[in-house]
Amino acid sequence: MNTTHIIGIFDSKTDLLTGIEDAKSKNFVIEEIYTPYPVMEAIYALDRKSRFTTAAFVYGFLAVIGVLSFLYWTSVIDWPINYGGKPTNAFPSFIIITLVLTILTVTLGSLFTFSVRAQIYPGKKYVLPDERSTDDKFVILFDKKTAGAGFEAISTAMKASGASEVYEKEL
Amino acid sequence: MYKADVRGPLILGNKDYRQITSDIIAPIDNKTPGWWKVALAISISLASLGFFALYFTVRYGIGTWAVNNSVAWGWEIINFVWWIGIGHAGTAFSIFLLILRQKWRTSINRAAEAMTVFAVMCAAIFPAIHMGRVWLAFYIFPYPNTRGPLWVNFNSPLFWDFIAISAYLLISASFWYFGMVPDFASIRDRAKTKIKKAIYGALAFGWTGSTKEWLRYEGLSYVLGGIAAVLVVSVHSIVSTDFATSVIPGWHTTLFPPYFVVGAIFSGFAMVMTLMIIIRKYYHLEEYVTDSHLNAIAKILVFISLIMGTAYTTEVFMAWYSGNPYEMFTFFHNRITGEYTFMFWAMVICNAIIPQVMWSKKVRSNITALFIISLIINVGMWYERFNIVVTSLANDYLPSSWTTYSPTWVEISIFLGTIGIFSTGVLFFFRFIPMIAISEVKSVLKPTEITEKH
Repeated sequence: MNTTHIIGIFDSKTDLLTGIEDAKSKNFVIEEIYTPYPVMEAIYALDRKSRFTTAAFVYGFLAVIGVLSFLYWTSVIDWPINYGGKPTNAFPSFIIITLVLTILTVTLGSLFTFSVRAQIYPGKKYVLPDERSTDDKFVILFDKKTAGAGFEAISTAMKASGASEVYEKEL
Repeated sequence: MYKADVRGPLILGNKDYRQITSDIIAPIDNKTPGWWKVALAISISLASLGFFALYFTVRYGIGTWAVNNSVAWGWEIINFVWWIGIGHAGTAFSIFLLILRQKWRTSINRAAEAMTVFAVMCAAIFPAIHMGRVWLAFYIFPYPNTRGPLWVNFNSPLFWDFIAISAYLLISASFWYFGMVPDFASIRDRAKTKIKKAIYGALAFGWTGSTKEWLRYEGLSYVLGGIAAVLVVSVHSIVSTDFATSVIPGWHTTLFPPYFVVGAIFSGFAMVMTLMIIIRKYYHLEEYVTDSHLNAIAKILVFISLIMGTAYTTEVFMAWYSGNPYEMFTFFHNRITGEYTFMFWAMVICNAIIPQVMWSKKVRSNITALFIISLIINVGMWYERFNIVVTSLANDYLPSSWTTYSPTWVEISIFLGTIGIFSTGVLFFFRFIPMIAISEVKSVLKPTEITEKH
């Protein structure tokens, strides 16, 4: 169901950051911020956190164990080959292939995680408050119901902190 | 705080964000230029010739090549190593410079990554057809099978190579593609026709540029960047172990892995320079790919050239110092002198000597000179691979099997075909994809914006 949103448009990163600070100081609840390039300050302001690196480490760890176990199984248990009496568990020569397969696994796992967590996948239906935010504008989005203030209060505050436009829209 | 202006502005011309999007998208919005159509026709002709030669190889077998009992690896492996080397620069550029927080990468990384993807695709053709029966190439996959439950040899560098190159292609392509997603969204949201909006909308995967997306996007970039940096080093080290684990004079040396990795980055950076000069010139992007960018690439090239010179000297020195008569023969009678002497000296002159002129600032700021040097380096790097592959094999331990190797039309056509495939890919990239990472360039437009305010 569509809900009414208040959208603040800013022309520069500096104005955007001022707008975020003002909104936070006045206890307005920001729903989301849209920027044409990554603005770390905006991400921190919304207290967004990601466990992406932890996930990547887990994939890597599981891959190392998995690949080494697989190599042990193929060369020692399933089909041991006697190379002039050398040990069938040729561990040191497993290292490079383990490294490469671990990288492959981490890549696939990370891509999948990104797609799921950031909701970026082919054919996704998206909602973009203002199309200019992928070009040259910075957008702060408030949900009218949960913003903690009405349109007038938010509009005045945002304009005071440098917003070039503030308007309402059903999203 | 004192701030030294080491590199000069990254983007010239006092741009704003909207102008950046317009400038970079302009080649996609504008009419197709005439030179592009001519270049595409030539590229497709070359690619077709290559495909015909590939068909010929598959139809009549590897007997159509000039490889023989001694020179079992000919142009195909030379070209494989050459293309893989070129393919290294994209990731080297993008990832090493990303990890080192080098902001000047932003104007160049997209083209470098595109180049990587096309070069690795070209490279992958060669080992596949070198198997002889390419339709049985799936034997190399490690899966339970009916040929006895026999596994592939997990200890062979040839198998490592297969996995490493597959992983490299996947990681480079995904790094490239996900880097483009925000830019596709920019094109989608500015598109005036429905078809364009639909196509770039589908490519953008529903990107909106919210903090939630940017946070994960940055996470993905750094994770892929971090692991791909390891992969760059390991892929070419593995390619070198294809040679180094043998007992062929001139090959079995511990110098090979670093020598190959550095050589690969050398040829790749040279190719990046070639492409960036073309992009600058034909798409008028001089304000994004500035003289300062080319100057930085030239400085890296001159440094790597010194390493290449050191590697060549070390090889020759070790051959002499080892006292091994076979090593001495290969280096002193089969490379420095002998029937392949031209290839050796072409390698030394193109890779170790000519690039030294870039010590001069005058040369580094002369775009024509840089363009010519970048081409010379790529020719030199091809000769390097010829030296390694052919001279060590042609005159082996048994003089009765000594032979001179020169390629047949089939081998030459396959090589020309890969150049055609590469240039076709690059031309489509020029025409339909933003050549410069729009969102990344915007992020370096005003690095001091915040400090000015407070």
